[in-house]
Amino acid sequence: MIHVGLWLPLLAGLLLIFVPSLGRTFAIASATVSLVISLILFAGYGGQGVAYASQTAFLPEVGVYYAVGLDGAGLLLWIAVSLVVLLGVWIADVPVRFLAFALMMQTGLLGIFAAQDLIFFYAFFEATLIPALLMLWFYGGPDRLRAIYIFAIFTLVGSLPMLASIFAVRYLGGADSFLFTDLAANPLTGQAAALAFLGFLVALAVKTPLFPLHAWLPSFHQQNHPSGLADAMGTLYKVGIFAFFKWAIPLMPEGFEQWQGLMLFLAAFGALYAAWVAFSAPDWKTLLAYAGVSHMGIGALGLFSGNMEGTVGALYLLGASMIYGSAMFLFVGLVYKRTGSLEVAPVRGLAKHTPALYVLGMFILMAMIGLPGLSGFPGELMALLGAYQVSPWLTLVAFLAVIAAAAYALTAFQKLFQENAQAQAVPDMDSREWVFAAVTVGVLLLMGLYPKLFTVYLEPLGKAIAALFGGAS
Amino acid sequence: MQETILLPLIIALPLLGFVILGLFGKRIGEPTAGWLASLLVLGSFLLGLFLVLQGGARWALSEWLPGIPLSFNLDNLSGIMLMVVAGVGFLIHVWAIGYMHGDPGYSRFFSYFNLFIAAMLVLILGDSLPVVFIGWEGVGLASYLLIGFWYHERVNADSARKAFIVNRIGDLGFLLAMGLLWSMFGTLSISELVGKVEAGGYSFTTLTLAGFFLLIGAIGKSAQVPLMVWLPDAMAGPTPVSALIHAATMVTAGVYLLVRHAFMLHDDAFLSGLIVAIGLLTAIYGALCSLGQWDIKRIVAYTTLSQLGFMFVAVGVGAYWVAIFHIVTHAFFKALMFMTSGSVIHALGGEQDVRAMGGMRKYLPSTHLHGLVAAFASGGLVPLAGFWSKDAILAYSFEYGPWLWVLMLGASVLAALYSIRWYVLVFWGDYRGKEHPHESPPVMLWPNHILSVGALGVGFIGLPYVIDYENFISPFLKKAIGDFGHEKLPVLTEWVLIIVSAAVAITALWWGFRFFQQKMPQWYTHFQTWALNGFYADTLYNTLFVNPMKSLAEVLLGGDRGILTGFAGLGSLMGGLGNLLAKLETGALRFYLAGLLIALVLLVGWGVLR
Repeated sequence: MIHVGLWLPLLAGLLLIFVPSLGRTFAIASATVSLVISLILFAGYGGQGVAYASQTAFLPEVGVYYAVGLDGAGLLLWIAVSLVVLLGVWIADVPVRFLAFALMMQTGLLGIFAAQDLIFFYAFFEATLIPALLMLWFYGGPDRLRAIYIFAIFTLVGSLPMLASIFAVRYLGGADSFLFTDLAANPLTGQAAALAFLGFLVALAVKTPLFPLHAWLPSFHQQNHPSGLADAMGTLYKVGIFAFFKWAIPLMPEGFEQWQGLMLFLAAFGALYAAWVAFSAPDWKTLLAYAGVSHMGIGALGLFSGNMEGTVGALYLLGASMIYGSAMFLFVGLVYKRTGSLEVAPVRGLAKHTPALYVLGMFILMAMIGLPGLSGFPGELMALLGAYQVSPWLTLVAFLAVIAAAAYALTAFQKLFQENAQAQAVPDMDSREWVFAAVTVGVLLLMGLYPKLFTVYLEPLGKAIAALFGGAS
Repeated sequence: MQETILLPLIIALPLLGFVILGLFGKRIGEPTAGWLASLLVLGSFLLGLFLVLQGGARWALSEWLPGIPLSFNLDNLSGIMLMVVAGVGFLIHVWAIGYMHGDPGYSRFFSYFNLFIAAMLVLILGDSLPVVFIGWEGVGLASYLLIGFWYHERVNADSARKAFIVNRIGDLGFLLAMGLLWSMFGTLSISELVGKVEAGGYSFTTLTLAGFFLLIGAIGKSAQVPLMVWLPDAMAGPTPVSALIHAATMVTAGVYLLVRHAFMLHDDAFLSGLIVAIGLLTAIYGALCSLGQWDIKRIVAYTTLSQLGFMFVAVGVGAYWVAIFHIVTHAFFKALMFMTSGSVIHALGGEQDVRAMGGMRKYLPSTHLHGLVAAFASGGLVPLAGFWSKDAILAYSFEYGPWLWVLMLGASVLAALYSIRWYVLVFWGDYRGKEHPHESPPVMLWPNHILSVGALGVGFIGLPYVIDYENFISPFLKKAIGDFGHEKLPVLTEWVLIIVSAAVAITALWWGFRFFQQKMPQWYTHFQTWALNGFYADTLYNTLFVNPMKSLAEVLLGGDRGILTGFAGLGSLMGGLGNLLAKLETGALRFYLAGLLIALVLLVGWGVLR
């Protein structure tokens, strides 16, 4: 089942490229099946450890295995990814080939969360870049070449040190293979760990994104297709927190401790900094790009605390932000469909014509700025509770972003929907958009009102991380 | 204390109203939507009353987040608050049925109104701090939605946004308090914290810091100096909103939060002193500002600020039950004051400037009576509700220090003056406008009749001990708050204080009644220019904080592009790859400078903070 779930989107995507006449319906069907599979896997999960594990020798001479399996975090993120892909494919008005790229990218993302072999993890991590670049290449804005340069260079250059570190982890640590279980049993120590960790840090900081390696993100979002589908997929690609949690920290706990101070600082500073910058963002995509950096800063702050609360908070926030972040990009895609522009400054007064769209936007926006009762809050709170134990001052700095978030989000939202503008009438939500709205709002509420449903699967993982650093909780 | 599912049902009723009216409000229409919303709140009230009479209740889901339960606790303290919120809330709901008549957003209004009640009840009943915080930000959201209810006017949308952002400063304090308490005690349940704080074994300085963080939260929500600037602007919302949220209930949440955490505050001289100072400053600032306003709602808004300052002083001097007592009496007379103002606005077709009012006692006889009661209760005329609670605050202030008593007496003189000024300008003299005033419909008069009775009589539940009649509320509340033994003042002192405060109030009311009917002397006009603008607090904040922060955001955005340039520079040092990256050069000097600035901040910041 896990193999089907993993490879089906890629196959569907390829098929769609060669037989475009299958059309949008086919893409939706594929995404639906993927979501159903992930839910079935979720239903069958025992609550502890890595489930559905399977491994086949791939290059046994050098210890590379095709090994996949899902722990609690991987499983929840599978669901998040599958849900977002379905929502995106459902709502975005884009050519069929675009949808095909999105489906292909889904396999890469699912692979990142399922890989239990470090080489395969790396392969998925890199391969996911290809469909992302293709979407930008074929459907990006006029300045997309520059955005592609920046995106590709940050990602590729960032990944090289990680590749070096991967070999270091295996051979200096003395493991028999690249399997997670083998590597985790032989963690690196001392100076080697510190250096190897740095390699991971550079690559993963790009994908968290962590200040100052977030610099590729604004142009990436600005230049992507206005429908928001590519942006949503890009939001899912921000897997840095997961990779730190799954690979970097357990394989090199000593290395993590060497860099912890710097990482906490970058996370906290980035959270505030990005939220502040977002306030003067000229268009919605830039605004959301910086907002995303800010949220991931808070999540990273939690994770880098190295305790149970922080880890649970980081993973919860990661999943939540995948959903509300992507939904927000898709939402501004709907706005673009009506206004033809995403500039923040002009007063548009849309609410007069589109009250339902206004309510939908309000829900996603409030989730995004961490209103309790919606999906953003539980993760932020747990990250706070974790981080405060480690560094109260940095927690204060990071959570100043709470104020800044209200400022940038509500200010831009007011221009878009409120006030009085002599705008020509635009249609309110149609039935397809209503489905999108209902599912999105339902998930935002579910994650906000009853987080225990998901945190029970994250808590053991958080305890395992805490145990690495001698923490009892 | 019983475990009962009826407790969350209290919250579920108005929440249900929010959902139903939010989804189908347009189809339900007027006036059914209003009555549905009102009856649901009445249901909450009755259910709450039933449970309070049974001695309280609890309900919990043992786990909501790891180690954090979803728990509710109805004890005497939350019980009284519930009575106020749902009881007065119900009356304001009913009144709004008349006031909002004909508004195109009629059912949307009641949907938000019910959301507010639900969130407020979560805030009050929550036992776990994150649950309280759900309500805390929930009422903030409802307040935002309702201040900006007529959001097609830019000024309303701006005010709503301002309220939300300023409140978020307080919310940050609340969040940090949770972080600190969790790291100290490993629990966020208030009922467990009580025991852990008593048990000791921690640093008292750290506990002071936790209390300080909570205080920041309370300052934001209760609009105390220096975070008071959002409340006057909040009057942009419809009048029922001002009465319910920005007078009777939500703004008292900060006081409630502090009283809830009395076990952390009562031993702490630093925090107590700080709370007294803030309260005193707010009481006087609000009073002075009120005396300079021309907009009827802003007059009343600043009086609320002043009364909230009184409550803070009560908390600071350790008179926790008195703070709640004042919340109760204040809820009655301030809601009445707002709704009387609203009835006048309604009668004058939306006019809010008191210079175009006057003489309303001839046109609106019933409303005039309500206004009279409200002004007297708010001005502290013996024996109306406001007198007894204010007198108790004064007595405890005397115990804290006679100097504080003198200052608070001064503040209550100002309270008498602004109350009577409001009354005189609206109801006395000749009518100065051009409308044809008409008395409100019964649906708006009856809630005010009931509130008038409350404003007249509710003070009798908390008489001073020297009067040989039972004080109900003090022992009732102490069961929940804890009894932090105060020495009773000698009988003679107590009597002298009562008589002085009664006499001073009567004198001030009488003097004000004469004074505000005349033409204003020169010195008053000068004072009024300052007071009208809230002593330029907004201007000051804009110059000192808001504008620099906005400019910095611009600079940072430029600087962020500078980061790319920086990487490009790094790349060119490394050779071949650099040529590629160098294409990203923007070359603008200010980006370099901004980048440099960021680097500097980073270095210094890291050095200081790690």
